[in-house]
Amino acid sequence: MATNTDAIVVKKPPLSVMLYKYRYFYLMSIPVVVLLLLFYYWPMLGIRYAFSTYKLKHITSGKGPDYSTGFGNFKALLSDRFFTDSFRNTIALSFWNLVFATVFTVVVALLINELQHEWGKKFVQTVLYLPHFLSWVVVASIFTLLLSAGSDFTGKDTSNVGFINAIFLNLGLISQPKAFLTDTSTWRPCWYIIQRWKETGWGTIIYLAALSGISPDLYEAAEIDGAGRLKQTWYITLPSLMNTILIVFILNLAKILNVFESVFVLYNDLVLSVSDVIQTYTYRKGIQGNDYGYATAIGLFKSVISLFLVTGADYVAKRIRGYGIV
Amino acid sequence: MSTKFSFQKGYRARAVFVILNAIFFIFMMVCMIVPIIKILSDSLMNHTVYGMKLIPDEINGIAYKYIFSQDSLRRPLVVSVYTTLMTTFLGLLISTIGAYILIQREMPGVKFFGYMLMFTMIFNGGLIPTFLVMKKLKLLNTLWAVILPMALNVSNLVLMRSFFEGLPKSLFEAAEIDGCTPIGTFIKIVLPLSKAALASIGLFFAVAAWSEYFHYVMYISDTKKYNFQYKLRDLFADKQAGDGEGTNINIKTLQSAAIIVSIVPFMFIYPFCQKYFMTGITMGAVKE
Repeated sequence: MATNTDAIVVKKPPLSVMLYKYRYFYLMSIPVVVLLLLFYYWPMLGIRYAFSTYKLKHITSGKGPDYSTGFGNFKALLSDRFFTDSFRNTIALSFWNLVFATVFTVVVALLINELQHEWGKKFVQTVLYLPHFLSWVVVASIFTLLLSAGSDFTGKDTSNVGFINAIFLNLGLISQPKAFLTDTSTWRPCWYIIQRWKETGWGTIIYLAALSGISPDLYEAAEIDGAGRLKQTWYITLPSLMNTILIVFILNLAKILNVFESVFVLYNDLVLSVSDVIQTYTYRKGIQGNDYGYATAIGLFKSVISLFLVTGADYVAKRIRGYGIV
Repeated sequence: MSTKFSFQKGYRARAVFVILNAIFFIFMMVCMIVPIIKILSDSLMNHTVYGMKLIPDEINGIAYKYIFSQDSLRRPLVVSVYTTLMTTFLGLLISTIGAYILIQREMPGVKFFGYMLMFTMIFNGGLIPTFLVMKKLKLLNTLWAVILPMALNVSNLVLMRSFFEGLPKSLFEAAEIDGCTPIGTFIKIVLPLSKAALASIGLFFAVAAWSEYFHYVMYISDTKKYNFQYKLRDLFADKQAGDGEGTNINIKTLQSAAIIVSIVPFMFIYPFCQKYFMTGITMGAVKE
């Protein structure tokens, strides 16, 4: 029965022939595979340290990690106040940042889209994208200087204060300089604002691309039906953007535990209680404290949750737009 | 869509909106630019008091002179330039090779190779195991610990693959028939045809390498091997290494000048290369 169709199917050459055919490619792949194994897959084997006691003394004595503790690190983790604080801070900082980012970026994108002057629009975009390319170290340095409360900590000498304190003092908003970045009540708002300063412009790109894809027919039809600009935005633009907004939101939700460098360059001992995140805590425990076993356990805890979040996001993204994120 | 700008009845609300919108964006641009102007202006005034001055009342390049003459500040700059060039070169090499392999759909094992690359995007060993691997490889305190992990950047590699997938298949077949080896095809056909992709992704690598800070924090403790980002951060530390001491340079002037030095190379290329930076952002997937 099936013999007729069999004749048409081109038979795949045997594996040995294929391997020989692609021999140069295997040769070329060596550097990529070596780097991949060394810096990505070998560290994965190190996850086993999470179930061990592994400190500097284990390295210097040459004994290696002591696995008798088992799940001990994880038990200690859950009752470690610094860890629970850092976990809570991570969620709070990332979540609110994500909310502000979504709302603010979408609004700015809609407004950029309303700019009629082609050259002006380009110019605005160029300027707004700029801060994205400054490194976190540079951004932190700029704002440390601008938010500085001066070198006189008594707060009486106001001549040496940073730009923002100077403005606030002149406007009479504050009566004496405020050290915004070393105060637990102002650190988080500053962090959110700095995040927006750096990333808002860049974030609009994806929405502007989606906006340019909306069919003009829809607007023409709405205009004929008598819908004004506001109604057009509400009933056409926003619903058309909804998929993109949702996708970006979900993708960022998956990365919610990854917040690190922006905090690392802006936090300090005085505001640890509101700014310490999982990654910074891992760094302090592992690299500064040399408690490798415990720090690996913290890292693994984070990685496993992240894995679930990303897999979930991938599934949702597939449902919404037809293809996943990885 | 009506685009008429007029204050006549029926167009008035639109005109008011257009004006308010313009004001909003002028405000936004001021917010973006003023911090940088302020730092630039402070870096040129060797005062102790700056206040709200946005335009320098003197042009004094003493802090810049100091940065380029003092070994403790000049060396990090050299390290930055070196690691940026190395990372960009190796990064492009690794990305193009990896992408070229990924488009060989028939090659046995290529799917597995793809999965291996992708998996690193959703799971990794974490900070500490990676640090311990670096330690075992004796890479701690060498610049390779910074350059090599950055050279294998999976998202850049995947981006390069999408560029390569856009190249016409018939070219590869023609090259094969003409007796070109895969490496020959790669060098003589694939690379020359992807100049735009090489420029974009090369810029991504360069900006990332120039901005790198964390790898230095993790793997480098030899002060001679810090890059300029690390040095800049160090200038703000409570116990900084004594830069500017014994001179009459105000530490804030020095800090401001160091910020400007670290952003100037980028400021020069940004206006000309903006379109290259944009590529890839909107390409299908939303990639950071």
